[in-house]
Amino acid sequence: MEKTINAHMPGLVARVVVKEGESVVKGQEVAVINCMKTELSVESPYDGTVKKILVAEWDEMEVDKPMIILE
Amino acid sequence: MIKKLLIANRGEIVPRIIRTCHKLGIETVAVYSEADKNAFYLQLADEARLIGPANPVKSYLNIDAIIDAAEKSGADAVHPGYGFLSENASFAGAVASSGRTWVGPSPEVLKAIESKCYCRDLATKIDVPVVPGTVKPVQDPDEIRRFGFQFGFPIILKLDKGGGGKGIEIISGQGQGQVRQAYERLSRIGQLAFASSDCYIEIKVDQPRHIEIQFMADGHGNIVCLGERECSIQRRYQKIIEESPSTVVTENDRKNLYQYTTGLVRAMNYQGAGTMEFLRAGDGKYFFMEINARLQVEHPVTEFVAGLDIVECQLRIASGGRLEVDQDDIRLSGHAVEARVYAEDPATFFPSPGQITKLRFPPGDAEWLRIDHALEEGGVVPPYYDPLLAKVITWGRSRSEAVQLLKDTLSSFDIQGVKTTIPINLDIISSSEFIEGSFNTSFIEKIQQKKN
Repeated sequence: MEKTINAHMPGLVARVVVKEGESVVKGQEVAVINCMKTELSVESPYDGTVKKILVAEWDEMEVDKPMIILE
Repeated sequence: MIKKLLIANRGEIVPRIIRTCHKLGIETVAVYSEADKNAFYLQLADEARLIGPANPVKSYLNIDAIIDAAEKSGADAVHPGYGFLSENASFAGAVASSGRTWVGPSPEVLKAIESKCYCRDLATKIDVPVVPGTVKPVQDPDEIRRFGFQFGFPIILKLDKGGGGKGIEIISGQGQGQVRQAYERLSRIGQLAFASSDCYIEIKVDQPRHIEIQFMADGHGNIVCLGERECSIQRRYQKIIEESPSTVVTENDRKNLYQYTTGLVRAMNYQGAGTMEFLRAGDGKYFFMEINARLQVEHPVTEFVAGLDIVECQLRIASGGRLEVDQDDIRLSGHAVEARVYAEDPATFFPSPGQITKLRFPPGDAEWLRIDHALEEGGVVPPYYDPLLAKVITWGRSRSEAVQLLKDTLSSFDIQGVKTTIPINLDIISSSEFIEGSFNTSFIEKIQQKKN
């Protein structure tokens, strides 16, 4: 089943730290959002494998915007 | 003299610069990103130009877009403000080669002083003490380990071209691959963010206080120093309370710091306004740390005690003029203190962007109270930029008078919709340590620990 990891804060994507095909566990850092010059870690709420990365560095983020699809 | 000035920045510094331009009869051009299109200060400029989307890389950091806005508006000069491209040699070069006046030191000087090792080397040659460490970039983790064995841990590894609290690793000991990991992490950040992986070592100064000297240097060999600012109260290497004079700088210290500053300014061949940052160790020794080649956020503190308009001086120097004052004319009087109000949770400093739903604050344009801000009821605080909302600066005949006025002023703010650091600002200036002037750069951690 597919699940998405969404942004929890608005800002800019500082970096994505996982690759497509990589398996992740719940609580693992998958990306970092820069909000007002503070770097905030985005953690995966689920275990799974990264199916697709939807964002790139410097993309503008808003709360609940999908960032990564897991399967 | 400059006729039409483009301000390549956003937020509170834009109306600040416009105010001086109005006084001098200079036309102004503001620039904005999509995220700032409704900012009130755009109305204060003679002209406002869209330079790109919210993403700062495509707007406030986009050299081509800003030069294009300068071309189209007919601006003959560019003021970079602080942050963004303010110390960027390529931007300064692009402004100059488009035939416009750059308000700041020359591109060549900016390029050279980007390197902290260059500045440390220069300082050492003219007998200005620098924070003990290496003057040249380190070659490998072994060199760091050897340094640690010789002088002891912890040591601080810094990027040669880092800044603003970025590119600093504290190495507490040599165990478990700590040195190699820190070195590799820092090199990677340096390569990505500053296109240089060079780093150097500094020892950890005991009980450091951050003391800086504001100076102005014209193109005719005149240099004046405008007293010190104490900026020891910081969180994540970002300043939050600043004051002038410092409670610990003696007349003799100031004389030495002025001598270091003018020596460095001459050695760097620097023109314009700038700041030399020093660390004062617990034993009273001072060390040169770095130069800030721009107008600083906290410049109003100095304007209050020195009675000068630093932006005006910048514009006159950039136009080739002479400083109208010399060192003997500078009379520092009273005490000034500034609180930076950030859009952050006061307990955690977690960012708090959003819309300002309610806003009340006193008028701040008196000789003893100044509020530099970009606040507006209904206005949006975007998540893409610096969290600074406002600077509240007060002046008093004594320190306690200035601090009391700051307390009263901050207490009368009512900002709703976003969280602000006003509660922690008030905690700091009400604390016995602050009142006694006994604090150092780890003050905020201490005050937070006490609360928890």
